[in-house]
Amino acid sequence: MAIHERSLVEPERVLRKERLVIDGVDVSGDWNLVILPRVIEDYDLDFLDEVLKQPEGKTILQCYQCSYCTASCPVHNYWDERYNPRHFIYLARLGLIDELQKRADVIWRCVSCHKCTHRCPKGVLVEETLKAILKVMSKKGLIEEYPSKKFDTFFLEAVFEHGRIEDGELLFGWIEKQGYQVFKDPILKKPIPFLGGTPEWLKQLAVKPIKSMNIDFLILNAKHMLFHPKTKNWNKFKQVLRKVFDEEGVSLAH
Amino acid sequence: MAKSVLVIGGGPAGLGAAKALGSLGIPTVLVEKEDKLGGRPVIEDYHTLIPRKMKPDQVIGPFVSDVQNNPNVDVKLGTEVEAIEGEAPNFKVKLSNGDTVEASAIVVATGFQHFDPKRKGELGYGIYPDVITNLELEQMFSREGKLYRPSNGELPKRVAFVFCVGSRDRQLGVTNVHCCRYGCALSGLQGTEIREHYPEVDVFCYYMDVRTYGTWEYPFYWEPQEKHGVRYVRGRIAEITYSPSDGRLRVKHEDTIVQRPSEVPMDLVVLVLGMEPSEGTKKIAKMLGLAQDPDSLFLVPAEEAASNITSNKAGVFIAGACKGPIDIESSIAEGEAAGAEAAAFIGAKVTA
Ligand SMILES: Cc1cc2nc3c(=O)[nH]c(=O)nc-3n(C[C@H](O)[C@H](O)[C@H](O)COP(=O)(O)OP(=O)(O)OC[C@H]3O[C@@H](n4cnc5c(N)ncnc54)[C@H](O)[C@@H]3O)c2cc1C
Ligand code: SF4
Ligand code: SF4
Ligand code: SF4
Repeated sequence: MAIHERSLVEPERVLRKERLVIDGVDVSGDWNLVILPRVIEDYDLDFLDEVLKQPEGKTILQCYQCSYCTASCPVHNYWDERYNPRHFIYLARLGLIDELQKRADVIWRCVSCHKCTHRCPKGVLVEETLKAILKVMSKKGLIEEYPSKKFDTFFLEAVFEHGRIEDGELLFGWIEKQGYQVFKDPILKKPIPFLGGTPEWLKQLAVKPIKSMNIDFLILNAKHMLFHPKTKNWNKFKQVLRKVFDEEGVSLAH
Repeated sequence: MAKSVLVIGGGPAGLGAAKALGSLGIPTVLVEKEDKLGGRPVIEDYHTLIPRKMKPDQVIGPFVSDVQNNPNVDVKLGTEVEAIEGEAPNFKVKLSNGDTVEASAIVVATGFQHFDPKRKGELGYGIYPDVITNLELEQMFSREGKLYRPSNGELPKRVAFVFCVGSRDRQLGVTNVHCCRYGCALSGLQGTEIREHYPEVDVFCYYMDVRTYGTWEYPFYWEPQEKHGVRYVRGRIAEITYSPSDGRLRVKHEDTIVQRPSEVPMDLVVLVLGMEPSEGTKKIAKMLGLAQDPDSLFLVPAEEAASNITSNKAGVFIAGACKGPIDIESSIAEGEAAGAEAAAFIGAKVTA
């Protein structure tokens, strides 16, 4: 069977078999094509239970779908309409997994500005709830390790080491982690991103803020990159933090 | 003979009126066509009432005993009004038991009746045993004390509430376009009771809007959801079917938030019934020439009156669900107000 308006049917709903035998009759060639319906046939109710078990997911049931969050969200407003915190909450509550998976390429794109959480009239911790949804999705193997999680881990590692982050090092280190060849000075092995094989836009990204930076602040930053001050008593905190990480099953490179 | 007041209907509204009149010392005749006072909630064994989560006996019971024990109130059970002649303050009322009552004023409190869900054939009521009404669910709780699927007696794994059955529906003609007002809140309470007693049962409410107005918003919308895990899905159920392969029902609808058709399995489906004027209300309206809404046929207050218990006929006061969907407490309060207005109308004075 031919589909005349193929553009109306998403490719994943079209099943075509080379050989198809129904009730002993070989129908290959003629009736070998099936279009799966759009009907929702069931909910995965277990999904919500998992979200509710996450400390970040406890407020998900408070949502009344007003979309204050989505209307405020920069990612939705300026980037992709498919990124919609309100909608993700609805899908997670009913466990409409295939709908969540359809958005796997955008769902991790939150920039954690927390506008949604600050404005939600129902007291939903929206940003946190979305993290809980992501966590459950990756725990259940419904989504590949989402790219933003890599940055989160990198960020956390920096904090874990020194109790604080150095903006410069975080930025340059992250660029290096992305696989770009970053030129390093031969003595201290610190990255100098505006030299070497870094692409032009990345060089600009590093140079621009440095150019407009207050000179004292620039020196302070350079000093911190060289001497790596730690937060006071950080080693004690670190031990506590390690325990918490161990209990929660968080793994870092260190 | 002292001037007396006739109250037609012994539900919450009529009881409120008779109690007020009796305690003011006014000779009152209360006519109720059933053999029991209390109206629909008592006669039909509602289980737990919104908004106080008390039993009908606790809410309405005190009014019943008060009225029955008041020597000023003459209660006539199993009796209907057959004819009314004359104008205020000289009504002559013929009753079905042969008596004639002379009344100076009348309180009409003849109430409502439930929508008949067989009129919405696509919802499968009367075809599939596991499609029941919310009234039948109340009675399952109050008479049998347990939740089960009528088809096999087993505990359902999933229960769906279908909102607005026989309400807000032009397909039925202009008679049922109003909102039932109690349905959303009662479903929240029934869902909560299911979850409290059977935490393993999943409950779904299918809605177009959730109208738990005023102070009912939290106890009957958000507590069911946040505390008890009742799930709300947006979309009006358009058809209920049965699947012989697993013996379960399917509720067909479009999930309007996801914008996809759905046919999700359910074990018990509860239709949330709308309210219509009772036969008694329509009959009395004709007898007295009371103004009715041209569509729903509920009674309407006089246009020029600021109070909604004042009818278009001098000396006739209207209270409760005969005027449209309303809750019990408001029906009682309207009855009390109508009683007081009737007392003022016949010129009763407080004497020291
Ligand atoms: C399923 C369901 C559940 C509900 N649950 C709640 C709840 O939990 N809480 C709440 O606040 N409200 C609830 N309601 C609404 C509640 O039932 C009404 O608010 C209330 O019954 C209205 O009282 P009423 O006295 O006006 O009318 P009714 O209760 O209808 O009483 C009218 C009385 O008049 C009698 N009568 C009628 N015609 C005549 C006649 N011609 N002559 C003599 N007698 C006559 C009837 O027999 C009846 O006893 C519910 C409604 C439904 C449908
Ligand atoms: S603002 Fe809050 S209540 Fe409104 S849709 Fe977003 S999470 Fe839900
Ligand atoms: S925290 Fe994330 S979801 Fe919330 S408004 Fe900001 S980008 Fe959008
Ligand atoms: S109260 Fe709720 S169920 Fe009843 S008609 Fe209104 S919206 Fe529908």
